[in-house]
Amino acid sequence: MHRFIRFSILLMGLFVASSSYSAEAQLAPLTTADDLGPAIEQPIEFPHFRHAKDMQINCMYCHTYARRSSVAGIPPIQKCIGCHQSIESVRESPRIKKLFEYWEANKAIPWKKVHDLPDFVRFNHERHIKRFVFQQNRPVQEVCGACHGDVKEMTVARRQKPLSMGWCISCHEKDHVVTAADGMPVDDQANKASPMGPLSTTGVAVGDQAYWYSMKKPAVNAAGVVVAKGPNDCSSCHY
Amino acid sequence: MSVSNLLENWSEFRHKHPVEDVPHDPYKWAMSIDLDACTGCNACSVACYAENNLPVVGKEKYAHGQAMHWMRIERYWPEDDREFPDQGAQFLPMMCQQCEAAPCETVCPVGATNHTPDGLNSQVYNRCIGSRYCSANCPFKVRYFNWYDYPTTENVWPAEMTQQLNPDITLRGKGVMEKCTFCIQRIRVGQRSVKNEGRVLRDGEVQTACQQVCPTNAITFGNLIDTESKVHQQWKAQRVELAVDEQTKDKEEGGSDLRGYRILEELRPYPSVMYMERVRESAI
Repeated sequence: MHRFIRFSILLMGLFVASSSYSAEAQLAPLTTADDLGPAIEQPIEFPHFRHAKDMQINCMYCHTYARRSSVAGIPPIQKCIGCHQSIESVRESPRIKKLFEYWEANKAIPWKKVHDLPDFVRFNHERHIKRFVFQQNRPVQEVCGACHGDVKEMTVARRQKPLSMGWCISCHEKDHVVTAADGMPVDDQANKASPMGPLSTTGVAVGDQAYWYSMKKPAVNAAGVVVAKGPNDCSSCHY
Repeated sequence: MSVSNLLENWSEFRHKHPVEDVPHDPYKWAMSIDLDACTGCNACSVACYAENNLPVVGKEKYAHGQAMHWMRIERYWPEDDREFPDQGAQFLPMMCQQCEAAPCETVCPVGATNHTPDGLNSQVYNRCIGSRYCSANCPFKVRYFNWYDYPTTENVWPAEMTQQLNPDITLRGKGVMEKCTFCIQRIRVGQRSVKNEGRVLRDGEVQTACQQVCPTNAITFGNLIDTESKVHQQWKAQRVELAVDEQTKDKEEGGSDLRGYRILEELRPYPSVMYMERVRESAI
């Protein structure tokens, strides 16, 4: 008898616990690393699509620090005014009016950070831009879009990728094709004979080039292409 | 790991020295410290506090052994009959020795401290769970534990001092182990900038904070692989080898009169810091 009562109490407890859990789950959805984060309200609803799609302005015209520092940077208000003071056609639109209000009040626009990584992660914009835009000559919007999503279709930027560590690693763990055309180090020390031997026709040791980008040891895959995994050492990003 | 697996692959598990199978290239960071030049002025320790966002714990916590000085000056008093002012201390700057076969690495239950390809002993703060096993296993006792959440503790960094915190390095929270990193933030910045130029770092392009401030240039830091670097030259001149647990020069008949040595070498951690014995009698 006792055993039966105990069992029924246990069952009731389980039922109550599970129902309260599901009720809570409905109220506040579990936020995971794959959650795309809240929609952030910016002081001015900046139309990225107008600039990046309609006007075809290069991302790095405004986010000018991306190619030379670890952070991409938010342009100062001078940059906006520099163009907009001579664009009369949109001068009276509400967003531009607001922009000039900040300008006249001598105030910086308090933009909010959308792609905010935890403080213990050191992402470097410069290295990614240097490699993919300047050495591999890929289109800028494709390179930026790999992490920032299709910004040219947005007004204010919205996080479209998880930006979690697993997501970073999913790219860094991939077998990347290593070619000599991707740029090569000029230093003698890096150009010395590679353990893979000179694999390219141009005489550049492709294996060395992979080492150069802190990639893992390159290997020749089934299709006869030299591939290497990206840098995935903890201390590259966490210190 | 089963016992049979262990026995079958014993030679694979028992590495004599970890760098043999994964050679450091093109960097192996190392240091040499000239104790003859060291005056024990503590400038290196102060610079380290400023560079690496170290909390100033205060007198009481210091007495409890909770000081967070990554770089500390150890004092040794000669046992002769002289009294204090004439006695003259001997100084030894002690920081993480960035061991090649680090005892702390093998015991970390979560792999928060591991070896980097450029020969550093890295500490991944966000992975650390604070078991403090690494600190217990460190023969040099150079690992420091965050017993409190120092960024929010009063008087650690008073309001105006938060402005001087280094943004290039993580502010460690409560329950995390930390230690000297050979100023990894400076190394990484240097490595990235020279990658853009397509070359490797030259000697002197990256300085650690302690090296930078040392008034007597007692501390030398650099790339041990680069034969042109000062640290390589010093290691070579002192005949100190990285990957041995007993130096060839010490095995020679009558020993050697060279000054270079590594601390606790016989424990086989293969430290990356070489000290040069003091020649003059006393520091004062």
